[in-house]
Amino acid sequence: MVGIAATGAAEIARRPGRGTLRSALVRWVFIALSLGFLAAVLLAPLAAVFATALGQGIGAYLDSFKDPDTGSAIRLTLLTAVIVVPLNTIFGISAAWAIAKFEFRGKTFLITLIDLPFAVSPIISGLVYVLLFGAQGWFGIWLQEHNIDVIFALPGIVLATLFVTFPYVARELIPLMEQLGNDEEEAAITLGASGLMTFVRVTLPKIRWGLIYGVILCNARAMGEFGAVSVVSGHIRGLTTTMPLHIEILYNEYAFVGAFAVASLLTLLAVVTLIVKSVIEWQASRTTGH
Amino acid sequence: MSITLDQVTKQYQGNPVVNDVSLAVAEGEFFVLLGPSGSGKSTLLRAIAGLTEVDHGRITLFGRDVTQVSAREREVGFVFQNYALFRHMTVGENIEFALRVRREKAAERVRRRKELLELIGLADMDDRLPIQLSGGQQQRVAVARALAHKPKVLLLDEPFGALDAKIREELRRTIRSVQRELGITTILVTHDQEEAFALGDRLGVMNLGRLLEAGRPTDLYSRPATRFVATFLGAANLLLRREARLGPEAAGQSRREQEVVAMLRPEEAELAPDRDALTTGFLGYGHVEEMQFTGALERLRVRMGTEAAERHADASATAMSPVWIDVTRTQPEQRAFPLAPGQLVAVGTRRIHVLPTPLSSFTVCAESREAAERLMSNHWLTDLAARMQTRLSAQVEPQLASEIPAPGPAPAGVAVVAAGPDCPAKVRRLLGRGVTPILCLPEDAEPPGRVVVHFAGQVARRATLAMTASLLRHVPAEAVFLGILPSGSPERTRTAGVRQLLDVRSEAQAGHGLDVRTELRLGDRIEELLRELGSQPGQMLVLGLPEAGSLPENFEALLTQSPGWPVLLA
Amino acid sequence: MSAFRQPSVLPGFGLTLGFATFFLSAIVLLPLAALVLKTASMSWADFVAVVSSPRALASYRLSFGASLVAALINTVFGFIVAWTLVRYEFPGRKVLDAMIDMPFALPTAVSGIALTAVFAQNGWIGQYLEPWGIKVAYTWLGVTLALTLIGLPFVVRSVQPSLLEVQRDLEDAAETLGATPIYIFRRIIFPTVLPALASGFTLAFARAVGEYGSVIFIAGNLPMKTEITPLLIVIKLEEFDYNGAAALGFVMLAMSFLMLLSINLVQAWGRRHIVAARR
Repeated sequence: MVGIAATGAAEIARRPGRGTLRSALVRWVFIALSLGFLAAVLLAPLAAVFATALGQGIGAYLDSFKDPDTGSAIRLTLLTAVIVVPLNTIFGISAAWAIAKFEFRGKTFLITLIDLPFAVSPIISGLVYVLLFGAQGWFGIWLQEHNIDVIFALPGIVLATLFVTFPYVARELIPLMEQLGNDEEEAAITLGASGLMTFVRVTLPKIRWGLIYGVILCNARAMGEFGAVSVVSGHIRGLTTTMPLHIEILYNEYAFVGAFAVASLLTLLAVVTLIVKSVIEWQASRTTGH
Repeated sequence: MSITLDQVTKQYQGNPVVNDVSLAVAEGEFFVLLGPSGSGKSTLLRAIAGLTEVDHGRITLFGRDVTQVSAREREVGFVFQNYALFRHMTVGENIEFALRVRREKAAERVRRRKELLELIGLADMDDRLPIQLSGGQQQRVAVARALAHKPKVLLLDEPFGALDAKIREELRRTIRSVQRELGITTILVTHDQEEAFALGDRLGVMNLGRLLEAGRPTDLYSRPATRFVATFLGAANLLLRREARLGPEAAGQSRREQEVVAMLRPEEAELAPDRDALTTGFLGYGHVEEMQFTGALERLRVRMGTEAAERHADASATAMSPVWIDVTRTQPEQRAFPLAPGQLVAVGTRRIHVLPTPLSSFTVCAESREAAERLMSNHWLTDLAARMQTRLSAQVEPQLASEIPAPGPAPAGVAVVAAGPDCPAKVRRLLGRGVTPILCLPEDAEPPGRVVVHFAGQVARRATLAMTASLLRHVPAEAVFLGILPSGSPERTRTAGVRQLLDVRSEAQAGHGLDVRTELRLGDRIEELLRELGSQPGQMLVLGLPEAGSLPENFEALLTQSPGWPVLLA
Repeated sequence: MSAFRQPSVLPGFGLTLGFATFFLSAIVLLPLAALVLKTASMSWADFVAVVSSPRALASYRLSFGASLVAALINTVFGFIVAWTLVRYEFPGRKVLDAMIDMPFALPTAVSGIALTAVFAQNGWIGQYLEPWGIKVAYTWLGVTLALTLIGLPFVVRSVQPSLLEVQRDLEDAAETLGATPIYIFRRIIFPTVLPALASGFTLAFARAVGEYGSVIFIAGNLPMKTEITPLLIVIKLEEFDYNGAAALGFVMLAMSFLMLLSINLVQAWGRRHIVAARR
């Protein structure tokens, strides 16, 4: 889509009377303003992450990963993502199938509810679980009696992360599946395919790029969630600190190289996510011809 | 019969989209369902495939009732308007899909794939993705994919809709030859009459959810039964003319003229400089208003009955000419009589086909000009007249409700009177002058969602059926034949009543191609009708009177009820 | 067939809707209900005391004020960026376009410490602002900056499609009729983009109000001065004042609902507006 727009823009730029000084000036002012703004709020901070992380040499950078607490933070983050991402993916596919393929009452309301975690502060996402499962919470006493840890333990972190990353896959798939329509599925059914086979052989390949993007975005958010996890984790060093929480601890201890080294990993994850997204968009435009 | 539909009905939010459609398609037949968009033809096709559930009725494929069978088990091949190819699979994989689903052996799949690719003429396109094919090629693949599992029935939903004219024609030939070669029963849905003529062994024309007529293309074109089919299958001039009433009904009365609707195809009109130069029946004089050269044919629009034309006109001309008539002329005709716009011409008719519809036009009968105007602007009536593309005129008779003999001619077509307390008197008077049908119309009548049909005696049976058929072709309503027997009728009478209703149904089916549901009640005739009509708004009554030309006392209640319903009397 | 759903030939409706609703209830709705119930169990006086304490009021001022300013900055610059990306061709355009989504993907803690590093007194940019007496880090300016960063993609991504959608033939028609570029912008482009701008503004604002991670590093977190409402909730929790945290959380949740509602209204208005404009 953007590609088409660009050719359109180029075409307009070549029109008679467009080579004037004024339109060139407007063009450069716009580009300069955009670049300047993005450089200040986006590029500089990104560069700062790597500059600070590598500020005392590659050796110090690598050494900071030898810290056992850093290692356990990375492991905890991965574990959380491994639990959360599949659950939200299954949810996303289910919700998208129900919403995009069928007409039913209350559909719009359901979509609004799915969007709810987007609108809620991450702090509140953590807080609600503390109120449910914390020591003074609704199930607190029962959990204590049965010796189950939710808050200040892995289950709490998983729940808070589930909440925060809840809509990502669904939001990616719903518009995509609505746009793709039901024709191919109906064709498969008339050709004798079962429901499951229709989904696996027809729907899944159609939506695979959108699904992959939804999953990696969900993954990036799951690994990087700070506010909600911070509320439920209890910050027990080496036990319940995920990577973002570990960054905070190191930063507050003025261990800048360590903090930015861990941050650089998450930044790389974000960069990879965006690259995958670009590749997927390119792929999608190639296979559908839009 | 390979495909049989029995009173199939489908509603969306209470509106019938497919309305009581019954149809039988023979084995190996190529049947084309033709209709404007929104006529329900695609919905009907999807219902046959099992892609849409039906609310009522039965669908049979090769003797097997499949109404409740899911689409995947119906063994039909369905071709979608926008191809619906699996975009991530190659052409070959698309074609093989149905075989893979059925776990056919690889060798068999390859063999079948090659065979089908050969059949549709895309033998070397095996490994292409759909996106790499043109629209026409994609649709060929879709046809091959639908045929892979050797379905007994092929269903095509506007398969050429998205293609340009030249490719369309080519693909049309391919589909026709594939169908002949395989001898597969096929139903194709289209809104293009040219396509329908080119492909169909038989056509069915749908409008407003009803299957209006079905038959061979030439029959439907030259002898349509309805205005809609007449005008939808090619251009047609619809004329209102007066004809002597035929049949035994007229025998007892003084020779009375009846208004009929006649169809004149543009190519059946003849133009000549003078009446005497015509080789065919004279219709009238007119001025050439528009001329269009379209290659093989010349299209003309002739404005009839203009002042200059009147001077030449002959009082004995039988036609009541419409405002203008469309004419097409071949090259030889053009050369024989060259024309210029504005020229005065005599119009003759080589062949006129009279439509068997009893509802020709509407004449509002009222005692005052205001009352007539009120009726003329009634939405119910203007709507129906517009749908029927017919004339709506007024006749003011101050003595309408009195016994003083009225001067002037009887109103033409359907006489329309306002419902109300003095309605029965007006109806009696009109009936006394031999006027039928009569429509009693309440001021605030709602568009009918349901038509109740009842005839009180066998005299009006045929007329009632014909009227019902004609009406139902123009309103999107469901209809029910209500038979009423006195309560406490013996078992034998009841059986006879049921049989009579079934007779009526088959008569409507045979005579008018119309399918309606039937219901038998026990009780007082008038009470039952009042209860039925009062049960929900938006209904109307088609009523056959027990005796020709008179309205019994107890029927008055049906015309004077308030709030009321439209009643069409035969 | 029930009127609840229109019939369809595709299977799996009950299964997928059932699972989706169950999961939604368990993960999102039930916990949110717990927050509401917890707040409802407080006495009215206690509730008012917590949510209208001077410290809470100061935090609302900062949270909503800075979010508003940030959303306004984003509306202006977001439009400029979107315009540049859609209408001009220049080297690196595609990379820039991809990078707009960075704040979506970048963990908030990372953007927080990175912004602080850049805008601190000795940071890359901060050192040049220092002589002018402009302090960004540890002031409300820093809060605004962090909220600008995280809200940027919302405006750009809302406006981009609508800019693509501005009918070129309309612009062309206006040009052949002799309209100046500024006139074309004011009368044709701006009205088409306005709903998207409004929607992007609301989304950015809503997101900024709840933001926590990127703000706390750069804010300095001085009570009454640079303390945002989410931080106040965290402090209450750390003091094991669950009631206080729940009350403040409830206020924020109510605001979220209001904003969700206004987003829907803005989008509905936008749809109508566009439809009306196309007639």
